[in-house]
Amino acid sequence: MQEKTITITIDEQGNSTLDLNGFAGSECNKAFEDFRGSDAVKLERKKTVYFTNQSKAHEQVRR
Amino acid sequence: MSKYGVTITEVREEKFLVEALKEMGYEVEVHSEGAQLNSYYSEQERKTANIIVRRAQLRGACGDIGFARQPDGRLTLIADELDEYAGYGSKWLGRVQQLYKEKQTLAMARAKGYILKKREVIQTSEGQQVRLQFAVRR
Repeated sequence: MQEKTITITIDEQGNSTLDLNGFAGSECNKAFEDFRGSDAVKLERKKTVYFTNQSKAHEQVRR
Repeated sequence: MSKYGVTITEVREEKFLVEALKEMGYEVEVHSEGAQLNSYYSEQERKTANIIVRRAQLRGACGDIGFARQPDGRLTLIADELDEYAGYGSKWLGRVQQLYKEKQTLAMARAKGYILKKREVIQTSEGQQVRLQFAVRR
Protein backbone atom coordinates (compact mmCIF):
# COMPACT_ATOMS: atom_id res chain seq x y z
CA MET A 1 0.00 0.00 0.00
CA GLN A 2 1.36 3.40 -1.02
CA GLU A 3 2.39 5.66 1.86
CA LYS A 4 0.29 8.78 2.30
CA THR A 5 2.50 11.84 2.14
CA ILE A 6 1.95 15.57 2.01
CA THR A 7 4.65 17.83 0.58
CA ILE A 8 4.34 21.56 1.10
CA THR A 9 6.70 23.95 -0.66
CA ILE A 10 6.72 27.54 0.59
CA ASP A 11 8.28 30.20 -1.62
CA GLU A 12 9.63 33.68 -0.84
CA GLN A 13 6.48 35.33 -2.13
CA GLY A 14 4.36 33.68 0.53
CA ASN A 15 2.79 31.17 -1.88
CA SER A 16 2.65 27.47 -1.10
CA THR A 17 2.18 24.39 -3.22
CA LEU A 18 0.56 21.37 -1.66
CA ASP A 19 1.18 17.93 -3.15
CA LEU A 20 -0.75 15.01 -1.67
CA ASN A 21 0.22 11.46 -2.60
CA GLY A 22 -1.43 8.15 -1.83
CA PHE A 23 -4.75 9.67 -0.78
CA ALA A 24 -8.21 9.20 -2.19
CA GLY A 25 -11.66 10.69 -1.67
CA SER A 26 -12.63 12.49 1.51
CA GLU A 27 -9.37 11.79 3.38
CA CYS A 28 -7.59 13.65 0.60
CA ASN A 29 -9.87 16.65 1.04
CA LYS A 30 -9.39 16.58 4.81
CA ALA A 31 -5.59 16.59 4.55
CA PHE A 32 -5.75 19.37 1.96
CA GLU A 33 -7.92 21.50 4.25
CA ASP A 34 -5.64 20.81 7.24
CA PHE A 35 -2.60 22.10 5.37
CA ARG A 36 -4.40 24.93 3.60
CA GLY A 37 -5.42 26.38 6.96
CA SER A 38 -6.77 29.91 6.51
CA ASP A 39 -4.93 30.52 3.23
CA ALA A 40 -6.65 31.49 0.02
CA VAL A 41 -6.69 28.79 -2.66
CA LYS A 42 -5.26 29.89 -5.98
CA LEU A 43 -5.46 26.54 -7.73
CA GLU A 44 -6.75 23.09 -6.78
CA ARG A 45 -6.39 20.04 -8.99
CA LYS A 46 -7.44 16.46 -8.32
CA LYS A 47 -5.12 13.89 -9.83
CA THR A 48 -6.37 10.89 -11.83
CA VAL A 49 -5.77 8.45 -8.98
CA TYR A 50 -8.23 10.41 -6.82
CA PHE A 51 -11.06 9.43 -9.17
CA THR A 52 -9.73 5.92 -9.87
CA ASN A 53 -9.66 5.02 -6.18
CA GLN A 54 -13.12 6.52 -5.64
CA SER A 55 -14.54 4.35 -8.48
CA LYS A 56 -12.95 1.24 -6.94
CA ALA A 57 -14.50 2.05 -3.57
CA HIS A 58 -17.93 2.48 -5.22
CA GLU A 59 -17.56 -0.85 -7.03
CA GLN A 60 -16.73 -2.64 -3.79
CA VAL A 61 -19.81 -1.15 -2.10
CA ARG A 62 -22.04 -2.30 -4.98
CA ARG A 63 -20.73 -5.90 -4.71
CA MET B 1 -0.79 10.71 -6.47
CA SER B 2 -4.03 12.35 -5.61
CA LYS B 3 -4.24 16.10 -5.29
CA TYR B 4 -2.28 19.26 -5.98
CA GLY B 5 -2.97 22.84 -5.00
CA VAL B 6 -1.48 26.31 -4.77
CA THR B 7 -2.38 28.62 -1.90
CA ILE B 8 -1.61 32.22 -0.95
CA THR B 9 -0.58 32.78 2.65
CA GLU B 10 -2.93 34.96 4.67
CA VAL B 11 -1.40 36.15 7.93
CA ARG B 12 -4.04 35.81 10.64
CA GLU B 13 -2.34 34.22 13.65
CA GLU B 14 -0.42 36.70 15.78
CA LYS B 15 1.68 34.03 17.50
CA PHE B 16 3.32 32.79 14.30
CA LEU B 17 3.84 36.30 12.93
CA VAL B 18 5.66 37.30 16.13
CA GLU B 19 7.78 34.12 15.95
CA ALA B 20 8.64 34.82 12.30
CA LEU B 21 9.73 38.41 13.03
CA LYS B 22 11.78 37.26 16.03
CA GLU B 23 13.54 34.69 13.87
CA MET B 24 14.48 37.53 11.53
CA GLY B 25 16.22 39.11 14.52
CA TYR B 26 13.72 41.78 15.53
CA GLU B 27 12.33 42.67 18.92
CA VAL B 28 8.59 42.74 18.52
CA GLU B 29 5.95 44.76 20.37
CA VAL B 30 2.45 43.32 20.65
CA HIS B 31 -0.44 45.70 21.36
CA SER B 32 -3.86 44.08 21.49
CA GLU B 33 -5.56 47.48 21.30
CA GLY B 34 -3.09 48.90 18.80
CA ALA B 35 -0.32 51.47 19.26
CA GLN B 36 0.89 54.37 17.19
CA LEU B 37 3.52 53.91 14.52
CA ASN B 38 6.29 56.49 14.27
CA SER B 39 6.53 57.42 10.65
CA TYR B 40 8.33 59.79 8.33
CA TYR B 41 4.83 61.04 7.52
CA SER B 42 3.48 60.90 11.06
CA GLU B 43 2.62 64.59 11.17
CA GLN B 44 0.38 64.14 8.15
CA GLU B 45 -1.17 60.80 8.94
CA ARG B 46 -1.22 58.91 12.23
CA LYS B 47 -1.34 55.14 11.91
CA THR B 48 -1.70 52.38 14.48
CA ALA B 49 -0.76 48.72 14.43
CA ASN B 50 -1.06 45.67 16.68
CA ILE B 51 2.36 44.17 16.04
CA ILE B 52 5.24 46.60 15.71
CA VAL B 53 8.94 46.54 14.89
CA ARG B 54 10.44 49.92 15.77
CA ARG B 55 12.61 51.88 13.35
CA ALA B 56 15.67 51.55 15.58
CA GLN B 57 15.80 47.87 14.64
CA LEU B 58 15.22 48.35 10.94
CA ARG B 59 18.48 49.41 9.34
CA GLY B 60 17.93 52.30 6.92
CA ALA B 61 14.18 52.52 7.51
CA CYS B 62 12.34 55.84 7.72
CA GLY B 63 9.63 54.66 10.07
CA ASP B 64 8.36 51.80 12.21
CA ILE B 65 6.81 48.78 10.52
CA GLY B 66 3.60 47.32 11.84
CA PHE B 67 0.89 44.80 11.18
CA ALA B 68 -2.68 45.87 11.84
CA ARG B 69 -5.63 43.60 12.49
CA GLN B 70 -8.32 44.05 9.83
CA PRO B 71 -12.08 43.48 10.34
CA ASP B 72 -11.81 40.17 8.42
CA GLY B 73 -9.13 38.92 10.84
CA ARG B 74 -6.10 39.33 8.59
CA LEU B 75 -2.96 41.10 9.81
CA THR B 76 -1.75 43.45 7.09
CA LEU B 77 1.51 45.35 6.73
CA ILE B 78 1.59 49.07 7.55
CA ALA B 79 4.81 50.81 6.50
CA ASP B 80 6.08 53.98 4.91
CA GLU B 81 6.17 53.84 1.13
CA LEU B 82 9.74 55.14 1.30
CA ASP B 83 10.76 51.98 3.15
CA GLU B 84 9.99 49.86 0.10
CA TYR B 85 13.24 51.25 -1.29
CA ALA B 86 15.09 50.63 1.97
CA GLY B 87 14.60 46.86 1.73
CA TYR B 88 11.24 46.54 3.47
CA GLY B 89 8.99 46.04 0.47
CA SER B 90 7.33 42.99 -1.03
CA LYS B 91 10.48 40.85 -0.85
CA TRP B 92 10.84 41.52 2.88
CA LEU B 93 7.13 40.80 3.41
CA GLY B 94 7.43 37.59 1.39
CA ARG B 95 10.22 36.39 3.71
CA VAL B 96 8.02 37.18 6.74
CA GLN B 97 5.16 35.22 5.16
CA GLN B 98 7.45 32.31 4.31
CA LEU B 99 8.62 32.00 7.92
CA TYR B 100 5.04 32.51 9.19
CA LYS B 101 3.71 29.75 6.93
CA GLU B 102 6.46 27.32 7.95
CA LYS B 103 5.84 27.88 11.66
CA GLN B 104 2.07 27.66 11.26
CA THR B 105 2.35 24.46 9.18
CA LEU B 106 4.68 22.73 11.66
CA ALA B 107 2.41 23.63 14.60
CA MET B 108 -0.75 22.48 12.81
CA ALA B 109 0.88 19.22 11.69
CA ARG B 110 2.08 18.49 15.23
CA ALA B 111 -1.39 19.19 16.65
CA LYS B 112 -3.16 16.99 14.09
CA GLY B 113 -0.75 14.07 14.30
CA TYR B 114 1.12 14.34 11.01
CA ILE B 115 4.76 13.26 11.12
CA LEU B 116 7.48 15.53 9.73
CA LYS B 117 9.71 13.33 7.56
CA LYS B 118 11.94 15.86 5.86
CA ARG B 119 12.75 19.59 5.74
CA GLU B 120 14.73 20.96 2.82
CA VAL B 121 15.79 24.44 1.79
CA ILE B 122 16.02 24.71 -1.97
CA GLN B 123 17.70 27.52 -3.91
CA THR B 124 15.86 28.40 -7.11
CA SER B 125 16.12 31.21 -9.64
CA GLU B 126 13.11 32.78 -7.90
CA GLY B 127 14.69 32.61 -4.46
CA GLN B 128 14.77 30.24 -1.55
CA GLN B 129 12.03 27.67 -1.03
CA VAL B 130 11.30 25.63 2.07
CA ARG B 131 9.99 22.12 1.43
CA LEU B 132 8.37 20.13 4.23
CA GLN B 133 7.31 16.53 3.81
CA PHE B 134 4.84 14.90 6.18
CA ALA B 135 3.44 11.40 6.54
CA VAL B 136 0.13 10.32 8.01
CA ARG B 137 0.33 8.53 11.35
CA ARG B 138 -0.96 4.95 10.88
